Amino acid sequence: MLKFVVRRLLLLIPILLGLSILVFFWIRALPGGPAEALLGERATEESIEQINQQYGLDKPVYVQYWSYIKTTASGDLGTSITTRRAVTDELKQRFPATIELTIAAMTFAILFGIPLGFFAAKRYGTATDHASLVLSLLGVSIPVFFLAILLKYVFAVKLGLLPTVGRISATIDLEHPTNFYLLDALLAGDMDAFWDVSKHMILPAIALGSIPLAITARITRASVLDVQNEDYVRTARAKGLSPRVVDERHVFRNALLPIVTIVGLQAGLLLSGAVLTETVFAWPGMGTWLVDAIRARNFPVLQGGILFVSFIFVIINLFVDVTYALINPRIRVS
Amino acid sequence: MSIAEIEAREVGLDAPSGLWHDAWRRLRRNPGAIAGFVLVGLFVTVAVFAPIIATHGPREQNLSLLQGTCCPGPSADYFFGVDPLGRDLFSRVVYGARYSLVIGVVSVAVGLSIGALIGAAAGYLGGWVDSVLMRLMDIMLSIPGLLLAIGIVAALGPGLYQIMIAVGVVNIPIFARLLRGSILAQRENDFVLAARAVGVRRHRILFSHILPNAISPVIVQGTLAMATAIIDVAGLGFLGLGPQDPATPEWGTMLSDVNDYLQTAPWLAIVPGIAIVLSVLGFNLIGDGLREALDPKLRGRTGKFRERSRLSYLGVGRRKAVSGV
Repeated sequence: MLKFVVRRLLLLIPILLGLSILVFFWIRALPGGPAEALLGERATEESIEQINQQYGLDKPVYVQYWSYIKTTASGDLGTSITTRRAVTDELKQRFPATIELTIAAMTFAILFGIPLGFFAAKRYGTATDHASLVLSLLGVSIPVFFLAILLKYVFAVKLGLLPTVGRISATIDLEHPTNFYLLDALLAGDMDAFWDVSKHMILPAIALGSIPLAITARITRASVLDVQNEDYVRTARAKGLSPRVVDERHVFRNALLPIVTIVGLQAGLLLSGAVLTETVFAWPGMGTWLVDAIRARNFPVLQGGILFVSFIFVIINLFVDVTYALINPRIRVS
Repeated sequence: MSIAEIEAREVGLDAPSGLWHDAWRRLRRNPGAIAGFVLVGLFVTVAVFAPIIATHGPREQNLSLLQGTCCPGPSADYFFGVDPLGRDLFSRVVYGARYSLVIGVVSVAVGLSIGALIGAAAGYLGGWVDSVLMRLMDIMLSIPGLLLAIGIVAALGPGLYQIMIAVGVVNIPIFARLLRGSILAQRENDFVLAARAVGVRRHRILFSHILPNAISPVIVQGTLAMATAIIDVAGLGFLGLGPQDPATPEWGTMLSDVNDYLQTAPWLAIVPGIAIVLSVLGFNLIGDGLREALDPKLRGRTGKFRERSRLSYLGVGRRKAVSGV
């Protein structure tokens, strides 16, 4: 097992290296070159010259790459063009917002997706089963931003039940030591704030979680159907265990294996979906940050943001692989 | 019918018919796939005959319709109402089918052709070519899809062609990995060994023996990729990265400025959104149907085994799909 983890960790090196090269050359492939990209429309020949010297852009490429690696590894991702703040400072605010939303979405997906798939499999071939199949098919066919707009229309505009923009009402005063607002509210012991933050989170979380929900339900259903026909389940039934015990101990537990993997593999989907969901609900996370950065041609933010998200994504995938290897010994050998 | 034939049928040993013939027969029996063909057929028909179906020009503005309020709802002359610039929503959605179809086909074609080439080279040549190409694909896969597309659009600038390329590039590693895996599986087959033994040249083995047999998962993935391409392109359009001419009737772009009108004219969001959902649903249904129909392990079987194919597609429980037979 340790060997597997070490090998998987070693595989990280070429990927991260390649990723940094890709991002490094990406900023150099931009129209007008990096200096103009960094300066935006205010670029003059003098300032371009100055940037070129400041960032060492007049040096050979390998020297540039090395200094880029050094600054990035020391946690310096540059300065945002629009706000003049350090990219890492903004990241510290934006990233928790997205993670909080993503966790809420995933919780929603698991909480409803697994039971839905389980009951569909239990009622295999019935109307309930067909309904769940249709639902999950619709779930993977609906663009996340359209679903977000629909939810916003029904629950916020029509029924006026929930807020439509942001993470918290402007009237609520809350300190943000962690930038995870739910956690912040709990730390402050402010239940009103907690309730307000929760209300803001419901619609975006449902919108973002619906596609993972559909996929989770589908996999759970297939997995339970698979396990149900196994010999050990038949044996458990034959020795007279109650259906409930068989379901709980034998079917469900074994059916969980593929579900765990699939849940982990949703990370990329969620990060992509977050960009669109955040745009609909004006959620101040990574998504709106990056989209604004594109519109403003704010390349330091784009570069830092994409690099950071990809890094997180690679790490999540590593965890998924290791978890899967823990559960399934066959993976470790290959 | 002779007894032997009846017995053969009972144990599922039909006279061997071609894979494609077989697949088509099973596809026709699958109601989901039929529904998919109907939806996609409708989508393509609307796209092709847009000028005949549309009642107005997609860019034609009639500001006199907007007097007082925005925006007049559905009426006999304007089936889905009028948008904030006085254009007929129905006609815009109809023309939008053209954009989505072309964008989907082009971006999948880009991803499939380049990805297939890379995958075939890696799978067939093996060695260091394989390692280098596949590590490269791993790096591309390490960036979440939409972010990679956003990065590419940022480099190329927003626009219709740019988002096609971006979505196509995102698809490259997916197809490359798929075809490589498929070729590796085929390469070990006896008929390849036989061909090699009688001295068939390398590229002929690849093109006439391995590729035709390795292609079916690519076809399935291609169909499903059409669905995701339509969604992704609409997403980029929604973010304002699509066609920069706001008059272009692209579905995602049409959704990008509806936020202000959600209160007064919700159909402006709902109609293009439903158009996207229906076309995506169509491709998903066909893709699912094809996956079931083309899986050689499922040939001549129906019922429970169909469910297993879903799992095996995801690389989970493959062993069970075999042992369950």
